[in-house]
Amino acid sequence: MAAALADRFSAWLDKRIPPASSITLTQAKIFIFPTKVGFAFSALLVLMVLLAINNQSSLVYGIAFVLGSMFLVTILHTFRNLSGLRLEFQSARPGFVGEDIEFVVRLVRLQGRGREGIQLSWPNGIPQWGGVFSREADSVRLYVRAQERGWLNPGRLLIEIFFPLGLLRAWTWVDLDARALVYPRPEFMPLPSASSGRRDEGVLIDPRDSEDFTDIREYVPGDPIKHVIWRSFARTGGRDMVVKRYASYVEPRLWFDFNQVPGSVEERLFRMTGYALQATRAEREFGLVMPGKRYEPGIGDTHLEAVLRTLALHGLEKNGLENP
Amino acid sequence: MSLAVPLGAAQAGGILQIPCNSLALLMIAQAVVVLPHMMQLSPWIIAVCLLCGVWRTRVYQGKSAYPSRGAKAMLVVLGTIGAFASGAGPLSLEVFVSMVVIAFALKLVEMNSRRDAFLVIFLCYFIIAAEFLFDQSLGIAVYQVFTTVVVTAAMIGLNQMHTDTRPLDSARLAGGLVLQAIPLAVVLFLFFPRRMPLWSMPLPGNASTGLAESMTPGDIATLTQSGEPAFRVQFDGPTPQYRDLYWRAVVYSDFREGTWRLMPPIREEAQFDVAPEAEPVSYDVLMHPTSRPWLYSLDVPVELDGRITLLADFRLESEHPVTSTYRYRLRSVLAHQRGEALSPAMYQRETRLPEGDNPRMIAFAKTLHEKSGSVERFAMALMQHIRSEAYAYTLSPQTLPAANSVDTFWFDTRRGFCAHYAGAFVYAMRAAGIPARLVGGYLGGEVNPIGGYLMVRQYDAQGWAEVWIEGQGWVRYDPTAAVAPERIESGPAEALSAEDRSNFSLLAAARLDAESITGQVLQMFDSMEHRWNLFVVGYDGNIQKRLLGDWFGDVSATRIGLIMVGFGAVCFGVIAFFLFFRRRSVAIHPGVVLLTPFSRFVSRYGFALQPGELPEAWLRRIGDAVGFEADANKALSNGIEAMLYGDAAVDDRQLRRLLRRLRWKVALSFR
Repeated sequence: MAAALADRFSAWLDKRIPPASSITLTQAKIFIFPTKVGFAFSALLVLMVLLAINNQSSLVYGIAFVLGSMFLVTILHTFRNLSGLRLEFQSARPGFVGEDIEFVVRLVRLQGRGREGIQLSWPNGIPQWGGVFSREADSVRLYVRAQERGWLNPGRLLIEIFFPLGLLRAWTWVDLDARALVYPRPEFMPLPSASSGRRDEGVLIDPRDSEDFTDIREYVPGDPIKHVIWRSFARTGGRDMVVKRYASYVEPRLWFDFNQVPGSVEERLFRMTGYALQATRAEREFGLVMPGKRYEPGIGDTHLEAVLRTLALHGLEKNGLENP
Repeated sequence: MSLAVPLGAAQAGGILQIPCNSLALLMIAQAVVVLPHMMQLSPWIIAVCLLCGVWRTRVYQGKSAYPSRGAKAMLVVLGTIGAFASGAGPLSLEVFVSMVVIAFALKLVEMNSRRDAFLVIFLCYFIIAAEFLFDQSLGIAVYQVFTTVVVTAAMIGLNQMHTDTRPLDSARLAGGLVLQAIPLAVVLFLFFPRRMPLWSMPLPGNASTGLAESMTPGDIATLTQSGEPAFRVQFDGPTPQYRDLYWRAVVYSDFREGTWRLMPPIREEAQFDVAPEAEPVSYDVLMHPTSRPWLYSLDVPVELDGRITLLADFRLESEHPVTSTYRYRLRSVLAHQRGEALSPAMYQRETRLPEGDNPRMIAFAKTLHEKSGSVERFAMALMQHIRSEAYAYTLSPQTLPAANSVDTFWFDTRRGFCAHYAGAFVYAMRAAGIPARLVGGYLGGEVNPIGGYLMVRQYDAQGWAEVWIEGQGWVRYDPTAAVAPERIESGPAEALSAEDRSNFSLLAAARLDAESITGQVLQMFDSMEHRWNLFVVGYDGNIQKRLLGDWFGDVSATRIGLIMVGFGAVCFGVIAFFLFFRRRSVAIHPGVVLLTPFSRFVSRYGFALQPGELPEAWLRRIGDAVGFEADANKALSNGIEAMLYGDAAVDDRQLRRLLRRLRWKVALSFR
């Protein structure tokens, strides 16, 4: 029942304040209702009027009426404090599951005097002050805890004020069409060993454990003593000390293959996210093999972002749920 | 930048440090609310208040902790004991006020959440209202409007961004709110139905001066004269002669142990005849609260509204004790005869004397009565006795013993004020078997030249005698006339010796001297006070009915309700118009708004913006020319540049300040 009501309400709200990346608040979009304090204040006024009646005191009537009228006038102030403000979705920074995702919302005072006590929050989020009293605009950072990978839609943004007296709450929910990409929670495991590659592709030299002789060069302190060519040393009477060098060409690029990573689909995504991050930190090129998709090896933030995006949206786009 | 403050919890009444802005205003509000009671408080309570203020400030600064639970309990117990110990009686007003103030101060130390703060604010509002029960004067009303603004400012502070500390701005907004509320409040004040009390709730008596249920002349060594107003009277026609202005209030019929007391009324009809050709006097009385039911009237009131009863002894009584300023209208006929026959109960009451008291007076009265022959001649003889013997009128008589007090006064001390003479006179009458009683009230009053009304003050209080004369009914005799005729003819100022004058407070003395500047200023204030009392404080159900009837004819509840809503809507609409629609139709860039008046100002000094000159260059040029400090100049031009071309999100407060300083520089350099 409650859920059905909530659905109907949200549908009604969608019609009344349709989603847009920039919304200007007008009186029609603002809701207003007394707070608990407001009701307590009304009770206080009733008490005062009783006091006035019982003591036939004109001035007690007077103060009760002044306070009551102030309550009414506050309605106008509350409205004015919120109307004419524009909200724009500015940016969102992608993050991982379990992190607080940052959304930047810009609050702009188009005209009129300074506004006070404005609080912005996502559902279940922590409210933040929007300071447009002495400034024309304020960029407000709002955070949402990411629960699952994919596109995170924080829902409707709640803008509320209790200003000026705390007796009334004026609020509105706007859908700023804000979204942020949430990557899977990375799981860090040792990088899979690289396969040995062909000579022409190789970049990295691993002089320690290799068997392949490459060349010779002059001895440098620290070279293994068993690599010294003693024959040459003897021939030159100890003048030339040369060492044999061994090397193997290692395939320097990592390939992360979805089908070869153990675990369930989600676990594989966690691990591959971890691989991608580790490889980037180690400054190694890596490529990605996903079912029906292949990313040529690359390095750098752009590459990483593309890879993470694929991992984040894996299996979600097919459902037609999401399109960036 | 925004600051992360977990407000969700705060709104639900959770714990959150009250913002600095609001805390400062709350402390000021509390002080302002308590201030009118400062005189009633013992010094130690004021010390406790200051201490609590300092403590809470230290808590805010993080230097001290909130009091622990045990400490709080101990403070409450100590405060309660202290309040009771320092008050006059366990239920006196002083104790009540002390308790509230202590609770207030302790709450200040303890308060740490928004909920606490709201509680304190509501308490402040309630105390403001409650204070009107004790004093509804114009001065207090003006002060309380100020208090309301301060308390409201504290409330605004609670709902502002917590990093903002602008108490003055909050106060300005609060002032605006109160001001905008006033038109609506006036509509409510005029139209809201005034009802009679739902239940009676006695207030602690606060009439420190004025008449009481009993009077013991012998106890008073010095009758301190207070200039406090007792009531004001507006006559429809000319003010009657001074000697006719005997304002009746209390009748003391019972005498025991030197004390005259009011007795419960006899359930009889008050009988009187008025001279058919006599012109009745109509007047409005606006009386200050007495916490007692009696009302003031000139003999004999002939037309009364339903709320007022005329008792058998011609006293007027209202339905309820008068606990707030009360306005009523009377018609009196000054030429009259009161009473045709005396009922046995009345006779018994008005002739009774305690046995064995004052034997000398009884003997004296009996002899004199026999010598005189008639009641009237007897009364004349008594008056003549006072006149011819060495009696003196004074406000500082000797005290008298409870037993034989009349004897001591009449034969030994022979110095006293009205109550002594009138009391002895009544005693003598009763001693001779003639019904007589002592009447307490006021004599005369002073016509305010500005308002044209009669002002009766506490120092106009007077006691006189009433004697039953067969065929004439109750006849008034004022024995004070025999000893101090000036008092009766022209008021207290003339009857006083230099010594007596010192018993008047400074203000009261100035009032007596109507010719002086101070006297005139006081008259003017009093006239304002009278209007205030007449139109605002005295506005009640009857006047409302009359006024609304005059304006709108039919005064049915629905009609008046509709008119009230209509007027209210108009007020609301006007405020809404000024708040919402009086805006510029085109949004002007804030930079232009900022620079336009500045440009107009400096143009007068030859610093007009040149064609093609950039505003920031223009500002730099002016700054260099008048010797504006280099870094301030740079900050200003950079700020303006950022504002005009960059992000609009520039704090314009600092720019405003800098521009103002530059203006000064320009003005000073050309002086």
